[in-house]
Amino acid sequence: MASDKMDVEVAEKKLTDMAHSEQHYFNSYNHHGIHEEMLKDEVRTRSYMNAIVQNKHLFKDKVVLDVGCGTAILSMFAVKAGAKHVIGVDMSTIIFKAKEIVKVNGMEDKITLIQGKMEEIELPFPKVDIIISEWMGYFLLYESMLDTVLYARDKYLAKDGLIFPDKATIFLCGIEDGDYKDEKIGFWDNVYGFDYSPLKATALSEPLVDTVEVKAAVTDPSSVITLDLYTCTTADLAFSIPFSLKCRRDDFVHALVAWFDIDFTACHKPIRFSTGPHTKYTHWKQTVFYLQEVLTVQQEEEITCTLVVKPNDKNRRDLDIQIDYKLETQDPTRQAQGSCTYKMC
Amino acid sequence: MATSSKSDKLVNDNPPSDSESDDSRDEEGWNDVEEDEEETPEVISLLDDRVFPDVISMLAHCKEKHRFDFLGVRQRLQLDFHGCVKLVNFIRQRVHEGLPVSEDISLADIRDDAYLKPVLDDDAVIIGLYDLPELPPPEAILAAQSSDNAALVSDLLKRNTELQEQLASVMLQHENYRAAVSKTLDERWGEAGADDNAKQVTNKGKGKDGVEEKEDESKYYWESYAGVDIHETMLKDTVRTDAYRDFIYNNKHLFTGKTVLDIGCGTGILSMFCARAGASRVLAVDASDIIFKARENIYRAGLSDTITTLHGKMEEVTLPVDQVDIIVSEWMGYCLLFEAMLPSVLYARDKYLAPGGLMVPSHTNMWVAPVSDPVWVSENGETFWADVYGFDMGAMAKGIYDEVRVLHWPGDKVCGTPSAFKMLDLYTTTVADLSFTAPYASRLTQDVDAVDGFLIWFDTFFSPTAPSSTPQRTSEGQEVDAASVDKHSVPDDAVATEWILDNKGKRDQDRVAFTTGPFGGAETHWKQGLLLCDPHLGEKKGGQNVAADGNSSIDTKQQQKKKDDDVRGEITFSVAEDNARALVIKATWDSGRTQQKWALR
Repeated sequence: MASDKMDVEVAEKKLTDMAHSEQHYFNSYNHHGIHEEMLKDEVRTRSYMNAIVQNKHLFKDKVVLDVGCGTAILSMFAVKAGAKHVIGVDMSTIIFKAKEIVKVNGMEDKITLIQGKMEEIELPFPKVDIIISEWMGYFLLYESMLDTVLYARDKYLAKDGLIFPDKATIFLCGIEDGDYKDEKIGFWDNVYGFDYSPLKATALSEPLVDTVEVKAAVTDPSSVITLDLYTCTTADLAFSIPFSLKCRRDDFVHALVAWFDIDFTACHKPIRFSTGPHTKYTHWKQTVFYLQEVLTVQQEEEITCTLVVKPNDKNRRDLDIQIDYKLETQDPTRQAQGSCTYKMC
Repeated sequence: MATSSKSDKLVNDNPPSDSESDDSRDEEGWNDVEEDEEETPEVISLLDDRVFPDVISMLAHCKEKHRFDFLGVRQRLQLDFHGCVKLVNFIRQRVHEGLPVSEDISLADIRDDAYLKPVLDDDAVIIGLYDLPELPPPEAILAAQSSDNAALVSDLLKRNTELQEQLASVMLQHENYRAAVSKTLDERWGEAGADDNAKQVTNKGKGKDGVEEKEDESKYYWESYAGVDIHETMLKDTVRTDAYRDFIYNNKHLFTGKTVLDIGCGTGILSMFCARAGASRVLAVDASDIIFKARENIYRAGLSDTITTLHGKMEEVTLPVDQVDIIVSEWMGYCLLFEAMLPSVLYARDKYLAPGGLMVPSHTNMWVAPVSDPVWVSENGETFWADVYGFDMGAMAKGIYDEVRVLHWPGDKVCGTPSAFKMLDLYTTTVADLSFTAPYASRLTQDVDAVDGFLIWFDTFFSPTAPSSTPQRTSEGQEVDAASVDKHSVPDDAVATEWILDNKGKRDQDRVAFTTGPFGGAETHWKQGLLLCDPHLGEKKGGQNVAADGNSSIDTKQQQKKKDDDVRGEITFSVAEDNARALVIKATWDSGRTQQKWALR
């Protein structure tokens, strides 16, 4: 999970000047528990496994770079798929575990693990044939390692080299979520008889990472942006894109929910997985953006929206998100227009 | 626009002559204006049953007898006529509901237009509002000095002084509020640097007192951010919050007029409960920056005059009083004592609690029970790591038996009777008592292949009765207490779910207690602590986890146990040597032949 990538990154920074006892802490079982959650995310891990292991023809004798290798599971999949050599890079202390794991599995000749920042380390190969990476964060981009992957692509990927995965698409959809909005946002209006609204504004500005039931969807999903990892640049990670949501039924819209799909198009048989509400649970869940007002929509109406995403100026790890929406209706009482800002931090 | 027409009508609505008038009186009222002018309306006091000839004298009565200065409130809130109408009806409604009325009514309290509707039919006070002096701006007072009515002048001057004092107090509150808001905004959006180190401010456990002191500007940013989540979790832990609320609200007589200290106040919820329950003064202490949110919440509740927030560690803040009557604190951590603030609470008790003062809560009891769940162990123990998508990831399992796991454990996977191993009487407990070794004894309730581990949880008790005399923190003291056993005493083996019942098995409203255990029904945010037994204990030699005799290996058959077998041993709690915030729990079993340590970090 991306948030942990941050934690361990910080841990790693601290590691150098850390007392022995603290090192022990960062190597403790619970500290790396997050990797258990990722490995147990079958949709994620199995998709990567299939994309790699079922495409031996692509991996055979290739040099592979695993960006943010974690426990090195993807590196080991690549070795199984016939890679000549795999370089796993991670700045987290998890890499020490990964080294043990690789050794136990007899792949130490095939896998080189390097702790450090991609921008600062030296790879033992000037170019790599394939980059594999599980870089996605919540809402795809929050605390994601995509910029690191793009850096590695520009510096190390051989001409006609492959990227696994190579496509990521963000979707948005309007949902009826009255009960939960009440529970999460309305909660602060009356906490045991007290007005806690100072905490309500904070709650509204924080996108909520949680699972959404597919039946909550009031509109068709709309794909807002597709990132092509072969061509996109870090500049593309800040964007402002209009889209529209077509209403499927008469209902209320309390929030927009976002998720992403991931594609491995280089595969013989293209592999794709989704983190949407319509499919199996993943540890990314979905990301819910509550609107300040409630929209009342009728079937066939369209909500026109703009999604603005950019890294925070002060802290590039944070995401500033804005959703503008406009509902034009025959019935003037239901007309609605607004702009909501959010911050993922 | 419906609202304004409704209030227009109220303005013109005069009381009919007949107080027994029927429902159609509103319509009739329109016609009654002239006829009723001569009749002296009976002005019923806002706060009691007394009747006055006019509103001015009634308000004077309220001010004198009930210390409620209507005009002061009007001035403070700058209420126009409609505002006054709402204020009157707000007060009437509260009195009607038997709720206390204090002067710190806020605009938010009376914002609801429903308060335009008279609570009392034909309320003469509302008509009488016309007779009140204008909101006195300073010029009005000067002008009044030249008037003939010297008594009114001096009255107004006096009132003016009072109002200025009130205004100054409100301004001060407002300044504090502004400062807090401004600081919040600046630091949230402006000063939050890109310093990744800020992330190290962890929110593990409770993030209350134990936050690392690092003078990093973004520390506040992260801490306050993380804080909202934690506090949402705690507030939504209804087992926890309801227990405090029920105890405080069901025992208002204990709080009325008392000075209360709330240690680790968080968002201020317990302080506000106490203030609403009648406490005359509440001191709310928290080292975390969430206290700025607490201050806003308290301000909005109109309780700023009653509750004083103090930002800092309990040991370091200076209380404005020498003694408090009641200490309220929600100090409990994972496995009760992890990162807990109990030492701070005990420090405050010894320094500030008045003789005969009340500790809320008053007791906690810790429990242990053996557990068995082979399926869970295979999915979450070392076997999971033995084969991950065909790879041996055993390295990840390192330390898996060295750490306490905090999780919700299902009651049906507890395989033995729970054993109470440590009762803490918060009147007498000392910091030294928090490191201890205590025996436990459980009897298996089912046949198991192996006891996979031990589960730890705690119960919390709120006794409404303080020890009768000055707390005596000696062993003799316990005997004194035992001699004065009353119905609210908490025996060493008290079970929360049973203690709250009276001797007829009915819920005793005076008693509040809750459990964090697996049998209590609702889950709490404390979950339980799982001590997972290392199945290789007997194999190891020379390490710290070694069977007491050091050379006997324990085979599987020895681990098999039958229903009604005893599981006995000792539990030891101690603070880890290498990390003061960590807790080390040791358990022995097989009658002390086997022992293992777990850390909670």
